[in-house]
Amino acid sequence: MSLELQLLLLAWGTLVGLDLVSVPQMMIARPLVAGPIAGAMLGDVGTGLQLGVLFELFQYDILPMGATRYPEYGPATVAAVTAAHAAAGTLGLGLGAVVGLITGMAGGLSLHALRQVNTWAVRRAAVALESGDPRVLERLHVASILRDAVRAAGVTALGLVLALVARTYLAGALPPHGVALLKVAAVGAALAAGAAGTLRLVGRGPSLRWFAAGVAGGTVVVWLR
Amino acid sequence: MSFPPSSVSTRARPRLVRTLLRLFTVQGSWNYERMQGIGVGVAEEPLLRDLRAEGGSDGVAYRAAVARGAHFFNAHPYLCGLAVGAAARAEHDGVPPEQVERLRTALCGPLGSLGDRLVWAGWLPFTSALALIGVALGLGLPAVLGFVVVYNVGHVALRWWALRAGWTYGAGVAQALREPLLQRATALSGPAMALVVGAALPLVAQYLSAGFLGWARVALAGVVAGGFALLWWQRERLTGLRLGLALLALAALAGWIWP
Repeated sequence: MSLELQLLLLAWGTLVGLDLVSVPQMMIARPLVAGPIAGAMLGDVGTGLQLGVLFELFQYDILPMGATRYPEYGPATVAAVTAAHAAAGTLGLGLGAVVGLITGMAGGLSLHALRQVNTWAVRRAAVALESGDPRVLERLHVASILRDAVRAAGVTALGLVLALVARTYLAGALPPHGVALLKVAAVGAALAAGAAGTLRLVGRGPSLRWFAAGVAGGTVVVWLR
Repeated sequence: MSFPPSSVSTRARPRLVRTLLRLFTVQGSWNYERMQGIGVGVAEEPLLRDLRAEGGSDGVAYRAAVARGAHFFNAHPYLCGLAVGAAARAEHDGVPPEQVERLRTALCGPLGSLGDRLVWAGWLPFTSALALIGVALGLGLPAVLGFVVVYNVGHVALRWWALRAGWTYGAGVAQALREPLLQRATALSGPAMALVVGAALPLVAQYLSAGFLGWARVALAGVVAGGFALLWWQRERLTGLRLGLALLALAALAGWIWP
């Protein structure tokens, strides 16, 4: 993979990481968007779509409310697609899932660390903030956004390095049935997380009937295809 | 949703647009002390500039309002504009400072709860599941791009409505939350999301398991059922991420020792 392509993926991962919380929350951070675009950059939209769908299901397990801590699957999906694309025919989806989940966990930890740094910065500027100086307010805000950009770039870079390490040392290390098992584990965990997350949202109220109707309808379409 | 005819004057519109643009960064400085407070203060500032002429040449009223605007705030990011507009309007209307603070505090809970139901548990999973269905049925990249466009039409419209409603109603902003269209959208979003996500799950399962052979399909059914049961009963301790990592580690180990 060329350096230009890796820099392009790094830039995309950074934008995706910024979108999650800071700017502009237009949902390019969703794996379903981040994955296929990364795939298109690599000339492999199919792998991007597959991993985008897989991590979108993991994303259904998360409700990003208030101060809750959660994994960050946007840059993780970019790294996962990179790993899976480079290892196509050997480990593919399974390898992508390994790289993506570890990167997602690191992304979640980095978000918590960023918020702590932001808290420290706000405490330091408390007196100036109470004086109502708009320049202090804006400087603090812009600095926090820049910190988030650096954080997102760091997480993406970590993911891309992990992808490189994984395809160097893992691809070829597992026999074919091991590769299949890895895929089963990745898809199974994603479907379980997606179903459990959705049911938690749906609850036991009247929406549960609509959910059951949806599952029945979807199953009929699968059967007819 | 309707507003009084003179709700947003031509003079106010450029400042509202500037505030709207800043609202897209409202969570940029999220922290554990003031949460969205700094971002809300930054967004509110353009609407407070008129106050510079009041309270003396050093703009005491303006600076006090800017300082108040940056105090603790936490709500759904798309609906922060409602509080920003309402607080700014209240400052212009000469509402006492402690009442402005109470207004902001009172809005946190309802805006958070409304936004979570309407967006995080409604519009977002609804549109995302439609895109999942599209991808599973072979539409590919256009389904994803369609998701980005459709989702953001609703997203930007909600942000603009919230800001305008806040600016229009000021301290009486609770009225805006009783808008019939908003009530209907909130009531519909849950069942619509449940139906579409429910339909997406079997289709996505088929899409992701397309290359699986006989034994792998049986194993997949077992993993999904077992994983779901674990996530459901151990929801306090187990997350999708932990389950995924544990299953992948087990699969790698089993694949390695399987002769």
